[in-house]
Amino acid sequence: MRNIKRALGLLLISSLAISMTACGSDNAKASGKTSSDEVITLRILENDTAKQEGYLDELLSAFNEAYKDKGIQAVDANMEEYSNLAENGPYGYGPDVLYQANDKLMSYAEDKHILALNREDFECADLIPEEAWNAFTIGVNGNKYTCAIPVNVQEPMLFYRKDKLPENWETDWDQDGDKTPDFLQSWSSLYQLSQQIVTESGGEKYGLVASCKDLYMMAEFDFSYGGYVFGKDENGLTNSEDVGFGQGDAAKGMLGLRQFAGVMNEECIDDSIAQNRYVKVADGTYFCSISTPDTYVLFHDRLADVYKAEGCSQEEADKKATENLGMVELPGKMPADGDLSKNGDTVETVVMGGVNGYGISAYTEHRDACIEFVNFATSREMITRRAQILGIAPTRSDVAQEMGGTTEMIFGSLSAGHINLMPSVKAVDQIWDPMGTLLSDVAKDAFREKKGETVKYTDEASMQEALDKASKSIYDAIYTLSN
Amino acid sequence: MRKERLSETVVTYIALILVSFIFFFPVLWLVLASFSASGSIYDYEGFFPKSYSLGTYIKLFSDTQMYDYPSWLRNTLFVAVFSCALSTVLVILTAYTMSRFRFRMRKPIMKTTLVLSMFPSFMGMTAVYLIMINFNLINNLWSLVLVYSAGAPMGYLVQKGYFDTISNSIYEAARIDGASNPTIFWKVTMPLSKPILVYTALTSFAWPWSDFILPNMLLKNRDLWTVAVGLTHLGETEFSRFAAGAIFIAVPIVILYFSLSRFLISGVSDGAVKQ
Repeated sequence: MRNIKRALGLLLISSLAISMTACGSDNAKASGKTSSDEVITLRILENDTAKQEGYLDELLSAFNEAYKDKGIQAVDANMEEYSNLAENGPYGYGPDVLYQANDKLMSYAEDKHILALNREDFECADLIPEEAWNAFTIGVNGNKYTCAIPVNVQEPMLFYRKDKLPENWETDWDQDGDKTPDFLQSWSSLYQLSQQIVTESGGEKYGLVASCKDLYMMAEFDFSYGGYVFGKDENGLTNSEDVGFGQGDAAKGMLGLRQFAGVMNEECIDDSIAQNRYVKVADGTYFCSISTPDTYVLFHDRLADVYKAEGCSQEEADKKATENLGMVELPGKMPADGDLSKNGDTVETVVMGGVNGYGISAYTEHRDACIEFVNFATSREMITRRAQILGIAPTRSDVAQEMGGTTEMIFGSLSAGHINLMPSVKAVDQIWDPMGTLLSDVAKDAFREKKGETVKYTDEASMQEALDKASKSIYDAIYTLSN
Repeated sequence: MRKERLSETVVTYIALILVSFIFFFPVLWLVLASFSASGSIYDYEGFFPKSYSLGTYIKLFSDTQMYDYPSWLRNTLFVAVFSCALSTVLVILTAYTMSRFRFRMRKPIMKTTLVLSMFPSFMGMTAVYLIMINFNLINNLWSLVLVYSAGAPMGYLVQKGYFDTISNSIYEAARIDGASNPTIFWKVTMPLSKPILVYTALTSFAWPWSDFILPNMLLKNRDLWTVAVGLTHLGETEFSRFAAGAIFIAVPIVILYFSLSRFLISGVSDGAVKQ
């Protein structure tokens, strides 16, 4: 009996020892801070597309090769791309360097989860426009601090099928004769084309179908008419007490959105379109849709799948998909009175945009090594590779000029003020739900009309009231409910 | 009379076929979706994919750069097997002790565990997270094994109920023959308790095999994710991969149920027949 007890005791002790050994090894692998005494290991959190398309591997290999003699190496943090630094960082499980959009990074900055940086430490500093730097600037006690390094600008883009352009576009859809179809330049023209496609196909096909509830994609119907997210205070810093979605003639723009939703598929109301836009553009059901530039590969690959299913080889399918998929900025002109069915006076389109960049975790133990990494990752060579592989629009002016095309166009729009950047304050978290609900309801109103139900937004006054209510909800969420 | 019986049988069969179809259809749909050639849910003709291929399954196991399914499967298996082994031992020992021995505080402990087991496990998630951080067990598969096994004895009541049904005279006879407590446990109770052992092992395996909340909280590193966590992080255009992953995760559990069901059935029938 005593022997059995002794054996059992030994067994339990050894299993515990084995378990603890396993704990140690797994954990070391996960935290990845240092692989030996001499080498500093940085954990880099990049976005999924960069990983999927092989850019992250290329960046890490290049950095590790360049810094192998300096005792620094970088590894993939291998975490979910939107993992919460505030939750993981303080306990040592977060990344050292993270690549995210300005709203996300700056909400970390407000809570001091990322470090304030000195612009002069970065070689790219002078090549990046002030608008992009502003997205990563925070004001504290009257002082301004830069908390991340801008890498690329994001704005909603129009993805369309070049091979599905109307045959007569040069004669009927190019009034100004500039060899660019009017519907890629004017929302009124795009509306009229969409109307024509729906009518001719008996409701089987559509022109533009986009996610109407997505504020990021649809903000042009507000911003182009004088609306904005938050105002500025006397120091030029974001003032989240001034919620401006209902300012100017925003109601006119929103009536324009309601009108456009009427020629879209009902999928535009909810999240279905965000999932199926790639396939529906690829199979020709939709002529075009709206998304961000980093989703180009998804549209491209779905279109290539269609060609492969038709019997093309992989190479041919890729080539055809590249030829037939167009990506341009959203049409630059909107009707001044918000009525898309007329071709009257116009206003310039102002879209919502964002700047993605690199931030350095406040919990890193290797600040200087992180700066070295960010400097390397924002070098001309790496940003050029990033733009080539991922199709992003870099904030570095030299690379934007070199790349030309859409990249230069987006860069130009940022400098010209056609992109209204997402405010870099934590309060921006509160805008999405109220505005998403309103946008969805406005789009739904077009279908209520079709179904003979009572419509809610019949005129500017009712739309203005809805915008004011949404702005009030946002204000309450920021200042009343959250306190 | 014969006609009546025939019509009764026909009606019963029709009802059964109808009910089976209602339950089977979603499974069939998921299986077919996993073979969709395009991979997207949005190119279906009606309910079903336009074209089929084995591509998704091949991709599931070969395209591991972003979504390392084989590694998720290994992690899930590791957690489920170790949790199953430890939980089964702990639950059976707890249930046996509560059933066979009378000691001070037995009743209060039973009442306390009964009350505690009524609270949903996720109520203590924040506490578990903080404890695991302090033990340096975040990003460690053993942390899951530890939590699942430690919580398992709370649900000992079913097993205790089973042990209660074993006649006390068997134990008394063994004791008269000079058997010690461990001998009684190993040589008398265990052979009589195969069905409850199988039941305990199966439920202890199935819970960690499909749990999402705990691994999602404790495992930050993609390589350490379990299948349930990994599948929820698949990209928005990866529906058929999700379907294939979900189908494949069901395979081991189905095999387990089929291979162990005879023990369950024989155990039940052994107890039912008076010899």
